[in-house]
Amino acid sequence: MIKITGLEKIYRTEEVETVALNKLSFEVKEGEFVAVMGPSGCGKSTLLNILGLLDDPDAGSFLFNGIEVAKFNERKRADLRKHNIGFVFQSFNLIDELTVFENVELPLIYTGVKTSERKKIVENVLDKMQIMHRRNHYPQQLSGGQQQRVAVARAVVNNPKLILADEPTGNLDSSNGNEVMQLLTDLNEQGTTIIMVTHSEHDARYSHRVIRMLDGQTVMENIMA
Amino acid sequence: MLRNDFKLAWRNLLKNRFFSLINILGLATGLACFILITLYVTDELSYDRYNEKASRIYRVNSDIIFGTTELKLAVSSDPMGATLKKDYPQVEEFARLYTSSGSKLIKKGNVFINEGNVGHADSTFFRVFTVPAISGNTNTALNEPNTVVVTKSAALKYFGTTDVIGKTIETNDNNGTLYKITAVVKDIPTNSHFHFDFIFSMDNVDYNFGNYLSHNFQTYLLLKEGTDPKEFDKKFIEFTDRYVLPQAKQFMQVNSMEEFRQAGNKLEYHLMPLTDIHLRSDRVAEISVNGNIQYVYIFSAVALFILLIACINFMNLSTARSANRAKEVGIRKVLGTERKTLIRQFLTESTTVALLSLLLAIGIALLALPYFNRISGKEMSWTLMTTTGFLLLLVILPVVIGLLAGIYPSFYLSAFKPIMVLKGKINAGAKRSTLRSVLVIFQFATSIILIVGTIIVYRQLNYIQNKKIGFNKEQVLLIEGTGALGNNNQAFRNEVMRIAGVKSVATGGFLPVSNSSRNDNTFSKEAVMDSKNGFNMQVWRIDENYIPLMGMEMAMGRNFSKEFKTDSSAVIINETTASILGYDNPVGKKIYTSDVNDPAQSIEYNIVGVVKNFNFESMKQQIGALCFRLGDAYWETAFKVDPANMKQLVSQVEKEWTKLAPSYPFSYKFLDESFNNMYRAEQRAGQVALSFSVLAIVIACLGLFGLASFMAEQRTKEIGVRKVLGASMNNIVSMLSRDFLRLVLVSAVFAIPLSWFIMHRWLENFAYRVNISWWVFLLAAILAVVIALLTISFQTVKAALTNPVDSLRSE
Repeated sequence: MIKITGLEKIYRTEEVETVALNKLSFEVKEGEFVAVMGPSGCGKSTLLNILGLLDDPDAGSFLFNGIEVAKFNERKRADLRKHNIGFVFQSFNLIDELTVFENVELPLIYTGVKTSERKKIVENVLDKMQIMHRRNHYPQQLSGGQQQRVAVARAVVNNPKLILADEPTGNLDSSNGNEVMQLLTDLNEQGTTIIMVTHSEHDARYSHRVIRMLDGQTVMENIMA
Repeated sequence: MLRNDFKLAWRNLLKNRFFSLINILGLATGLACFILITLYVTDELSYDRYNEKASRIYRVNSDIIFGTTELKLAVSSDPMGATLKKDYPQVEEFARLYTSSGSKLIKKGNVFINEGNVGHADSTFFRVFTVPAISGNTNTALNEPNTVVVTKSAALKYFGTTDVIGKTIETNDNNGTLYKITAVVKDIPTNSHFHFDFIFSMDNVDYNFGNYLSHNFQTYLLLKEGTDPKEFDKKFIEFTDRYVLPQAKQFMQVNSMEEFRQAGNKLEYHLMPLTDIHLRSDRVAEISVNGNIQYVYIFSAVALFILLIACINFMNLSTARSANRAKEVGIRKVLGTERKTLIRQFLTESTTVALLSLLLAIGIALLALPYFNRISGKEMSWTLMTTTGFLLLLVILPVVIGLLAGIYPSFYLSAFKPIMVLKGKINAGAKRSTLRSVLVIFQFATSIILIVGTIIVYRQLNYIQNKKIGFNKEQVLLIEGTGALGNNNQAFRNEVMRIAGVKSVATGGFLPVSNSSRNDNTFSKEAVMDSKNGFNMQVWRIDENYIPLMGMEMAMGRNFSKEFKTDSSAVIINETTASILGYDNPVGKKIYTSDVNDPAQSIEYNIVGVVKNFNFESMKQQIGALCFRLGDAYWETAFKVDPANMKQLVSQVEKEWTKLAPSYPFSYKFLDESFNNMYRAEQRAGQVALSFSVLAIVIACLGLFGLASFMAEQRTKEIGVRKVLGASMNNIVSMLSRDFLRLVLVSAVFAIPLSWFIMHRWLENFAYRVNISWWVFLLAAILAVVIALLTISFQTVKAALTNPVDSLRSE
């Protein structure tokens, strides 16, 4: 599903040049659950941004479902992104002014789904994530675990082929964290490809494979049992 | 402590350069407008107050209806003043002014100069008005005929010195009356309703004195301390019965004032306070063009609104920014800063900004003063700003604004619980504030009202310029003072007619624009006048070329002609007169007037034609009754000319003039200019309204710009999330714009009825006016929306273009 070859990303400021990704190559097959690990500043987030089509690489190739997307412009990337990729963040990134329902509904609005249909889809997802009873609450009124469940609901509402998770349990206690990991595993089992950046060896164990990074390069790949 | 506060305030200003700049610029512009308009209003309100007895001086106004439209006069009859003083002990003194001659030619060396600021006054003039003498005794200066009092400027102009007592000046009165200078006075202040340079003795006025029925003199009464002018007003009823009625009976059949009134007529006199004349009087025979209290109100309101808009910006930006400073407050509190100290810090900050703005505002006001003087038609000097009251205002204003703008954020912020703030739980509430929305609505409502006002003022002015006025005001060159040519008048006409480009010539003594010569008389439908068949009418002397030259049209009958010897007793009436008379076809009918020399005898005139109505006064007035008679109004001469090479043409005319009247000044004007001068006050109001509308909108936009950038900044993260979730740039821009648009639309809902009401009132000043069409409001609302969108677009597009990676990286 994803194949990157010789991917490079360099950040320049007036004085320093930081190599975030250094000729990075790997492949993720459809239906895989891959964890990306590495110390702070190793390029994990940059990788996730590029994989999420939020940012473009300086060099190298990025095949998404067999299509070269490395040179896509903003509009094409956005189009591909909103139909195919869901995001889960460490700090949830729910919009404070919107209710749980409205937060989850958002991606459907942007992909142009009709109102009546949206209601059905959102309710269905909220039900699955077991937060239906909180549909009219605002994010601040929820616990961290509940907020992340809303975030996951929002990530999957469009039925994306790929979910990118950036330390999804980073702000959660262990029981809430486990719950969220279970959610991701369930999604994976239903066929969604998941790439997750994490610091936690515990969370990494939920994945099929761990890619370890250092200074913008992969240093090791473990296949999890 | 205070020094530390200022240091911190300064650093905060520098740290938020962008917001500080918007804040200071907006407030400074607002304050500058406020300063200028305050100067204007103060000046307008100060008229005639230089007179020490101003509070006791009144002018007698006359309101007359006789068969036609109401005449509101600033003048009254010549015996009025003396009679009132004789009969009523409340009258301490009276003084009359006679200015009907308008201007005089005064000889300097061998040449006559046309002087406009001249008048004849009673010897009591200086006992009523405060015009200090430089030399001579003003109490006795005008006691005798052939005396004149001159101002310092006039003395310097004609003699180069103020030591001129006993010297004589020659005028064109009766072909060269000499006047002896008996006193020199200080120049009359600009804020006076009269501006004489020469005050001549009343004894030299060539007038049939003792006539209660002719109204030609401005009469001022100085009432004794404690006299109630409202009570005194009632005395005019017995005055009219005792003096006016007996004279009226001589030439018309009227038995009592009651009968006169019942026929729909009116003859009333009222006292008008001296200090009201400049702003509240727009009557026939005013000495100078007065101001208008309406404009004082409107401009004061505009000044206040602009200041409010600027203050609102200031408050809005301060409170909006407060959210950003919540963390600072939290940390300070954790470190032990007291609430008191925080409040003081915030107040110091806002007051510093207000003071900086004031300094800038004074600079802007000084720079803009010449421009403002030009559009408002004033001659205000910057020294007006140095009066104590004004300086006090300038000091108090920024402190008040600073405190007002600072109080809300300072109390709001200083009340934060440090834990909450540091946890970031405050931000959400500060983002959307009802107060801020209300303030933005207020700003835009004001802007919309100003836009509507400006559009309607300009439409009305445009209407006046282009309305079918019944004559052609273009290409008419008027040569003034042609009376000075004497017997050479015809020769002059003949010579000028030979100049290429001159098409025709006519007498121009009576002109269809305000402030031209006027002559009215009473007429009747039957030979014997009574209070039902009599009416007042303008009588203009013209020649047979006048009607075609002015482009006027005949509705019925014919123009005057040299072929009809009987035309000396013929009249051409206008359509208003025709409708007063009520004949289906008035041509061939007669009208009557009484003989000046023998009021019991009547003179008859034959109506030979009806001229289509034309506006001969400002469009604020209905077209009154008017008739033309054949005659030679020789003091001005009208030429219809070709507008090409106008400069050359005029200089050729001047050459002819100099040949025939070498010692008299050559003076000319164009009819269309005189026409436009009638609406000078409205044009100025239009320009002032336009200038300040633009400024108000700029200031409001400045605030909106700041607010939009603040909102975008506040919502950076939300925008990032939305983009990640697939929002396009359009989605984001429209999301951010929608909130503001909603506010602008709500403003329109408030502004439209209010602006309709205000402009409806203004238009009521005009007898001939435009309708207020719905599209004006639509246009104003659309303009406001477009302006608001353009203003915020820079910020919203910038926010929408930001790569979400940047806004979400902060984790």
